[in-house]
Amino acid sequence: MNFPSTAIALESVSKRYGSRNIIHDVSFSVRKGEIVGFLGPNGAGKTTTMRMIAGFTTATSGRVTVAGYDMATQNEQAARSIGYLPEQPPLYDVLEVSAYLRFVAKVKGVARSSVPAELDRVIQACRLEAVVTREIYKLSKGYRQRVGLAQALLGKPEVLLLDEPTAGLDPGQIQETREVIRAFGEDHAVLLSTHILPEVTLICQRVAIINNGRLLAIDSPDGLHRASEQTNRVSLLATGPADAMRDAILLIEGVRAVDIRATADRSELLSIECHVDAVEGIEAAIARAVAGRWSLHRLERQQPTLENVFLRYIGETTSPDKSS
Amino acid sequence: MNGVLAIYQKELATYFRSPIAYFVIAVFLLGAGYFFIYNIFMTGIGTMDETFQSMGILLLTLMPVMTMRLFSGEYSGRTMELLMTLPLKPWQVVVGKYLGAVTMLVLMTVATAINLIPLYLYGTPETSTILSGYFGFLLLGMACLAIGQFFSALTQNQIIAALITISVLLGFWFIGHVQSFQASVVLRGLFGYLSFSQHFGDFIRGLMRSEAVVFYLVVSAIALTLNTSYLKWQR
Repeated sequence: MNFPSTAIALESVSKRYGSRNIIHDVSFSVRKGEIVGFLGPNGAGKTTTMRMIAGFTTATSGRVTVAGYDMATQNEQAARSIGYLPEQPPLYDVLEVSAYLRFVAKVKGVARSSVPAELDRVIQACRLEAVVTREIYKLSKGYRQRVGLAQALLGKPEVLLLDEPTAGLDPGQIQETREVIRAFGEDHAVLLSTHILPEVTLICQRVAIINNGRLLAIDSPDGLHRASEQTNRVSLLATGPADAMRDAILLIEGVRAVDIRATADRSELLSIECHVDAVEGIEAAIARAVAGRWSLHRLERQQPTLENVFLRYIGETTSPDKSS
Repeated sequence: MNGVLAIYQKELATYFRSPIAYFVIAVFLLGAGYFFIYNIFMTGIGTMDETFQSMGILLLTLMPVMTMRLFSGEYSGRTMELLMTLPLKPWQVVVGKYLGAVTMLVLMTVATAINLIPLYLYGTPETSTILSGYFGFLLLGMACLAIGQFFSALTQNQIIAALITISVLLGFWFIGHVQSFQASVVLRGLFGYLSFSQHFGDFIRGLMRSEAVVFYLVVSAIALTLNTSYLKWQR
């Protein structure tokens, strides 16, 4: 059998629970040797999509293919090629870490003779040496998450599905986990869901962005970066004539729009939102323009947030919809 | 077969690491010992009839406690997602779990054999009747386990799983008593046939009827099949 280079493929997949549409017409694919980020806010449909790819639930319509197998009919064959870490690590609390991993290895069909080596490999990769003989219920959240990851890595699956793999880890552990995923992704297909913006830009080659069950875009981390830059805002508090201040700020190169509102508590204090391009030193220019003639009370550059990036993509994808 | 074996071993490991299995075994052995002493030494009759009868009712109330976590625990522990996405077929999960439970039943049953020592020391019991009683006891237990395992798959809540199973099992146990109220011959026959206690009674009296053996095996098979179909349907 010839191995397809497309490890995961979704073709206009939808999922309904009763009358509720959870996933609408989602299509994307992940190739071997590629780490794809699956980015969206909580409740966007990431977990449902992951579950359909893993074979835990079936799609209402459309086709999910993993390692060449149709998940609707051949999910048991496909399961051999899938390593899956669900949102909540699926652990048997009463078992010791080693007993648990041995169980998963056995079910995954790892040959009896190579089980110890395989266990060693994942235990090392996930830094579990210290807790191998401990019962799982005694472990901290970070360790539980890593036992879940170790379980997914067992048997070197062709496709690795990770649902928020760094949730609950401390910064050092996040770093280590990312390294494990990056190394694994070199010759496997990895789909990694997250709601943390920097995570995908750090380790993913492509990013699928989902919101309200719809795929908004598939972009490179660079594209995502640009999108987040474009959503930059500078907000300030100042007192002065609103129209004159608006004109003065709009004269500055890179400022796209200015929105001025009175603040609730003091009527003479104005809240000014400036949508700006990513120009070096733009906030200093705005500060000079305002502080030179009126009084400036506060100025801050807002960090790009996931919501802002989303708004950007939503804006792009909904406009053609309206015309049709 | 590897999948069944892995599930089976995991189940056994879980039983011996959780207090519930020890609790069930302890209560069962205490109860069985008490019934034995009461029926043999108080009445002075050297048979196991009454003891088996009481052990049967005890089994009905304890097996649901043994099976209640089988699937409910997987749902609430979020491990069902693992079982359903590993290379396992639903029937392998069902059979592996069932074999684990049956193993516990066999261990429990074998442990009650200690009661037979004084019986054989001081009396002359009929060995074939006792063996037939034990055989019937195991078959009855297997049916209880299969039913309990099925109901455990229907709910996340272990207590609810146990309560539903106990109700259903008691229903099957006492359904024979409704027989005498029925005017229709068909219904009388049906209720008598469905009765767990009447088939068990045959074994206790030393009657190993193939009809009774088939009855318990078919009940178990139906429950396990429903269990497998339910898991498939859940996807």
